[in-house]
Amino acid sequence: MATATTTGRIAQVIGSTFDAEFEEGHLPEIYNALTIDANEKGITINLTGEVQQHLGGNRVRCVALGSTDGLVRGMAVVDTGGPVSVPVGKETLGRVFNLLGHPIDGRGEVTTAERWPIHRKAPPFDTLSPKTEAFETGIKVVDLLTPFVRGGKIGLFGGAGLGKTVILQELIARIARVHSGYSVFAGVGERTREGNDLWLEMQETKVGATGKSVIDSTVMCFGQMNEPPGARLRVALSALTMAEWFRDSTGADTLLFIDNIFRFSQAGSEVSALLGRMPSNVGYQPTLATEMGALQERITSTSTGAITSVQAVYVPADDLTDPAPATTFGFLDAFISLQRSIAEKGIFPAVDPLGSTSRILDAQYVGQEHYDVARRVQSILQRYRELRDIIAILGVDELSEEDKVIVHRARRIERFFSQPFFVAEAFTNKAGQYTTLPETIRSFRELCDGKWDHLPEGAFLYVGVIEQAEEQAKKMAR
Amino acid sequence: MAKARAIVKRRKSVQNIRKITRTMELIATARFKKALDRATEAEAYTRKIAELVEDLGTTSTEVSHPLLEARPTVKKSLLLILTSNRGLAGGYNGNVLRAGWRTFQDYEAEGITPAVEVSGKRGINYCKFRNLHVDATFTHFEDRPQFDEVEVLGNRYISMFIRGEIDRLDVVYTQFINVARQQAVVQTLLPMTASQVGDSSPSIRQSKAAASAAGPTAVRGERVPYEFVPDPKSILEEIVPVSFKVRLFKCFLDAAVSEQISRMIAMRGATENADEMIKSLTRLYNRARQAQITRELAEIIGGAAALE
Repeated sequence: MATATTTGRIAQVIGSTFDAEFEEGHLPEIYNALTIDANEKGITINLTGEVQQHLGGNRVRCVALGSTDGLVRGMAVVDTGGPVSVPVGKETLGRVFNLLGHPIDGRGEVTTAERWPIHRKAPPFDTLSPKTEAFETGIKVVDLLTPFVRGGKIGLFGGAGLGKTVILQELIARIARVHSGYSVFAGVGERTREGNDLWLEMQETKVGATGKSVIDSTVMCFGQMNEPPGARLRVALSALTMAEWFRDSTGADTLLFIDNIFRFSQAGSEVSALLGRMPSNVGYQPTLATEMGALQERITSTSTGAITSVQAVYVPADDLTDPAPATTFGFLDAFISLQRSIAEKGIFPAVDPLGSTSRILDAQYVGQEHYDVARRVQSILQRYRELRDIIAILGVDELSEEDKVIVHRARRIERFFSQPFFVAEAFTNKAGQYTTLPETIRSFRELCDGKWDHLPEGAFLYVGVIEQAEEQAKKMAR
Repeated sequence: MAKARAIVKRRKSVQNIRKITRTMELIATARFKKALDRATEAEAYTRKIAELVEDLGTTSTEVSHPLLEARPTVKKSLLLILTSNRGLAGGYNGNVLRAGWRTFQDYEAEGITPAVEVSGKRGINYCKFRNLHVDATFTHFEDRPQFDEVEVLGNRYISMFIRGEIDRLDVVYTQFINVARQQAVVQTLLPMTASQVGDSSPSIRQSKAAASAAGPTAVRGERVPYEFVPDPKSILEEIVPVSFKVRLFKCFLDAAVSEQISRMIAMRGATENADEMIKSLTRLYNRARQAQITRELAEIIGGAAALE
């Protein structure tokens, strides 16, 4: 790494990228951060850029990590001699940062002993942790069909407005509340308002019985929608770097929440053409898989500590085969797909029980009973889906008696997947429900056995364990 | 293109289903007309017989017939359920079977396990599914039930009733009220009580209205005094069993008419649903195809622009 800082000049500005010219032999390395500090015609410009390409002729092409408004040719560019670095350490807890590691919560500077560069190598594979252990969330459909892996990666896939962010926030509320380690939240290209809500909520929510706020063990990192693509491209790395410190230095279980990983790909695609790369499939950058791999391979559990990450993934036009969500698939341990058709029925969380899966939904990890019940539920729903066309054309009366029973149960199971959320209490007027895993398994087993066939469908909506459905049926009858 | 192909495939299968349902609708329409004619023809006779029995019952109080006697305690009863051999008739079979099942459970609640006889493959399958013991099954009653076939059944029931093997006979079938309304009903045919005979007024209201306009019922109120030759007993012995058999036959006729009309309506609905589905699938396919074309164009143009 070049240590001597050198100064160059801006040679060209193209949208959110710019070219800088340096003296012979003082060209900054790729990923080095360049800073611009200038005052031109009364406008103060304080910008950081990141070197992406060496163009030849002593020029480098950079992505601006902030707004390029007011940038003019000839401005002085200082090579910092290394990549962007962020403060790491316990001092960061309870604070909110932007991608450059500057606190944005207005509570003064954060001074830490160390700063780590945001570009790092993924841990070598001999240090990875082979443990596989399920992780209870108290959300019925998630625990039953897509059990989370402790130290694993979980993806929440869904189109616009299906409730990805709500589920993510619910998971934060549920997991962080009982979690003893640290949490890092990365807001990537989502609504600023949601970030603010989350920040306020975390200050109110207490961890278990300790009386400490959730925020006290949480670091937040935001690069939201309003920021230029460079910021959205790098903020996930900044957050990840902070999480890596907790993993490597404290050895504690660390949670990393990313909302929304698609914006990372999208930001990459926004700057890709400006960097002179030929668009690839569906207009995405040709380096889509490389970028995603570099990020995802760092989010992993090692022998020193574990990072459990939950990532929301926006699915453009509800098409899961779109390259951006498709490249994310392969890295995940649990995959939750949200379906518009289910959300349209008013069932939230709108988890697609047939499209979602988990690596550990296997008898050797979750136990024979859990596995059997999950498979039975899926086979009933699968049969129902096959019969749907027939029902749509000929009506339910044409089905054989066996199929009628299956349809009858499938409709109840479908509704029973809904559950009141803690974070939605204010909107639904229903207390959030935490259903333990054994209760979940028992409830679904009894449903499959037909023990609750007599209850009306509506009774199964937004309840916890199956007995609550019975109560709700009684209330409805009155 | 994978998505567009899948849509085309699905649309094709829906189109095939539509062809079948459309044909079945036409066939059911033709059969319904025939069945309706038969039912209407039998109507006048059934009604007259019913009137006769009723009049006899009211005018001569001293007469009695074993089939007219209601037994104080019902120990054994028989449930005859009329369903169709073929499906694709909408809620026709479902409604009858539901009514039958309910009646069966009502009986069981009273501590009587009725013997069950079922006509039609649909009903037989249902009983198999419910693990219901069935004493006799018939599959030979198609959409043109013949009187001599029904008579065999009727004679058997009469002798069973007289011998005391059954105390009650209920028939579960779909009553044909008019073209727009058919109803699954449970009718007690044995014992025949005079009032019941009156109740079983012609089910085809339209034809009844036509008949009453013609006049015969106008005379009914006057209570024509009857003179029995040779004596009331022998006439009753003749006419009561006939009346029962005719009423049983009418149940079969009604069931046949209702089956065809249910199928006609169900198939018409199915064809319409299929049409709608084809329409939406076509729209979906067009959109998928166009999206693909647009995407490819954008990629080519984008690629070319990037190379400049």
